[in-house]
Amino acid sequence: MSGPSVPEAVAPATPTDTGARAATSLTPTLRGGLHRARTWIAIAAVAVLGAVVLLVLQGRVSGGGTPLGADNPGPAGAKAVVEVLRAQGVEVGEVSTFDAARSAARDGATVVVADVAGFLEPERLAELAGSADRLVVIAPDFASLDALADGVRLAGSASGPLERAGCALPAAERAGTLSDGQRLLRIDDEARAAGWQGCFPDGEFGVALAEGPSDGGRITVVAAPTAFANDTIDEAGNAALALGLLGETAELTWYVPGLEDVDAASAPTLGELTPGWVTPVILLTIALVVAAAVWRGRRFGPLVAEDLLVDVPVAETREGRARLYERSSVRTHALDQLRIGALGRLLGLLKLPRSADAREIAVSAALATGRAPHATERLLVDEEPADDRRLVELAAAIHELEAEVRRTLRPDADPTQTTERPGRPS
Amino acid sequence: MTISGRFVLLLALGVVPIVVAGALAGAASGAPTPAAVAAAGGQAAWLMLLAWAALCVGLGAIDLSLAASPRRVALQRELPPRVRLGEAAESHLIVQNLGGRALRAVVRDGWQPSAGVVGANRSRLRIPAGERRRVSLVLVPRRRGDRRVQQVTIRSAGPLGLWSRQATLAAPGVLRVLPPFASRVHLPSRLTRLRELDGRTPILIRGQGTEFDSIREYVRGDDVRSIDWRATARRTDPDAPGGTRLMVRTWRPERDRRIVIVTDTSRTAAARVADEPRLDTAFEASLLLSALASHAGDRVDWLAWDRRVRGRVHGANGAELLAKLVDVMATIDPELIEADWAAVPAQVRRLTSRRALVVLLTGVDSPANAAGLLAMLPQLTSRHLVIVASVADPEAVAASARTEDLDDVYRAAAAERALLDGARVEAAIRRLGAETVSAPPHELPPALADRYLALKAAGRL
Repeated sequence: MSGPSVPEAVAPATPTDTGARAATSLTPTLRGGLHRARTWIAIAAVAVLGAVVLLVLQGRVSGGGTPLGADNPGPAGAKAVVEVLRAQGVEVGEVSTFDAARSAARDGATVVVADVAGFLEPERLAELAGSADRLVVIAPDFASLDALADGVRLAGSASGPLERAGCALPAAERAGTLSDGQRLLRIDDEARAAGWQGCFPDGEFGVALAEGPSDGGRITVVAAPTAFANDTIDEAGNAALALGLLGETAELTWYVPGLEDVDAASAPTLGELTPGWVTPVILLTIALVVAAAVWRGRRFGPLVAEDLLVDVPVAETREGRARLYERSSVRTHALDQLRIGALGRLLGLLKLPRSADAREIAVSAALATGRAPHATERLLVDEEPADDRRLVELAAAIHELEAEVRRTLRPDADPTQTTERPGRPS
Repeated sequence: MTISGRFVLLLALGVVPIVVAGALAGAASGAPTPAAVAAAGGQAAWLMLLAWAALCVGLGAIDLSLAASPRRVALQRELPPRVRLGEAAESHLIVQNLGGRALRAVVRDGWQPSAGVVGANRSRLRIPAGERRRVSLVLVPRRRGDRRVQQVTIRSAGPLGLWSRQATLAAPGVLRVLPPFASRVHLPSRLTRLRELDGRTPILIRGQGTEFDSIREYVRGDDVRSIDWRATARRTDPDAPGGTRLMVRTWRPERDRRIVIVTDTSRTAAARVADEPRLDTAFEASLLLSALASHAGDRVDWLAWDRRVRGRVHGANGAELLAKLVDVMATIDPELIEADWAAVPAQVRRLTSRRALVVLLTGVDSPANAAGLLAMLPQLTSRHLVIVASVADPEAVAASARTEDLDDVYRAAAAERALLDGARVEAAIRRLGAETVSAPPHELPPALADRYLALKAAGRL
């Protein structure tokens, strides 16, 4: 109540009315709200600041996670082989655009294409192959392979480490073995006839490396990035193969295609065909939804509390007792309740002394209605219900007897009294 | 602060300029490929989106800055202090605009739901600077007790009606809702019976419970046995010299008896019989008995008790008695605790030191629950005449007579058991020297009144 809105609340009234004071505001003013929430605001600010700092730090530490990136020191990067090559005197250039790669290829450098993400169009790869004297393609996809080397196909994963070079390629011979995790290529007869050879065979299934002629020079295809990646390059003959393949010339161009190489001149995508106003309209719709939510969702003042009454339905204990009788199937006990009640009422109806016992009442009732005394005695005292059906019959019969006594003794009584207690012939 | 539907609509209308700008710019660019056309149109559409958003927000901000302050408002309530349950009351709220601008506002009066505002409790107001307006609401309360209102929320819109300022202001108010006293329909017939008992008809058998009222002249129809011969002898007839006029003595029921009504507000009173809590039935019965007894010249004290005194009316008479009673009863609700019967005799002693008629309004349902009551009763019956009035459950009687199928039979057995338990407790109460009155909710008040009249006629008070 003693809100921070007091300055406004005591604002002077207009001269037209004297003595009217502004009502105390329960809603804090903006300044008051900020003042009251300052702890939370400070905590939120610190949290946001911390998150930003953490993000920046993490970004710097992990760096670009490009697979086979020449500057990527992570497990999937290829900084190790590049640095060793540089130490050996090879001039390694890192490029990320097609044009740079092609001009380097024209200058005579060995070009390594590590297009794990598949950004480069197959036609462009073929064009690059045409301009480069030596091209090393690491982990090409199906379409790239098709464009580069007709007749060389992907053939699954190798079954384990490859123990034998099995070809005349010097680098492969020097390496001798390759670690586990290789992928396989299959070279068909036509390609073999065209000059393609395979190294590191895995039985009959294929080879891990294929080497052959291209339009402008020679192409080496290594199916898996395992031999060049930082974390596996020191296994088996991986390092020897990588250094042998890439260190043959004094200049090496390490080409990892980036987003700029995605060909924009090809067929327009769905996104390009949609009219330019669609995205702004979607954004406007989102803003609309938010605005509509605020419009409908803004509460018109605080909720009003209502203290509720306790509500105890009196039939609850009765119902509970009935369920208890039913679950434990106490037929005789249940019937006895009805009998005691009926006997009490019959006692009053028949004007018997209070000391009369159940059998006397039963006999009197039989005399009043003209029934056989032993039958009413059996009904009101003796019989134990054998099953549920009998219980229902007896209960109905007791009520029928009571109603009959009532009718006989007071024939002019209210007829609803008799219809209220319907009896059924048992 | 809040926004209106109008603002949302304005924002939605932005689709038109955005699409038009996008399409026109795309067509005008004359780019060769559809992708280039789309790109050109997109740029224009983005610009238009930004422009439209800026327009909307700008208009909203201007609107908000022009809205009158919802805090510079004086509030005043006009409420009837009390209303009977089931009747309508009118609540007025006077809103005065203290600010320098016209107030265009929607006002919500924050009544409790059970105050029963008829219609919506939102009122649209337009108050020029310095003037005042009255907001009237019709309330039909749904529950007895104090129905409260704490706050008024004012949403003040700007001239365009786009954005509004909102503030909740304190404006407390209380409307006391009294028990309905529906049983007052029984009062006239009982008053007639009371007058029959009264000394105006000397037919009344005199004896215990009556006291001498006056001597008046004999009129035809008076009981000849009530002729007072000594008075007749003393009274000479002015018309016939030497003759005398027959004089009769009149009697009237004893007056100035004490009646103490103790209403049990414990958990037994919370039980709902035939859709009425026992406590409400007890209130009805108390009111009818009090009205009747105060007409008969008896003095009524009323006490609501569970483990402490929840309400007490002492030493009031006539119309003041009923007014006090309903006022005290209004705010009493049953509590889920067991009644402390042992302290009741002391409470009665504090109210009256004389012999009195003590009426205990409670529920008599099972021997286990009534143990406290039964243990205490002898203390009361030794000094006072005691009536234990309890609300009977008509559904139990109905259930005990239904034997259609097995479920019904077990239910009937349980109902019969409950009735027998009640009967046992009542028998025990009678053995302890107290009277019992047991009736369904709507019949208990007249039944209790009838018992009172019978006791009065028999002179047992």
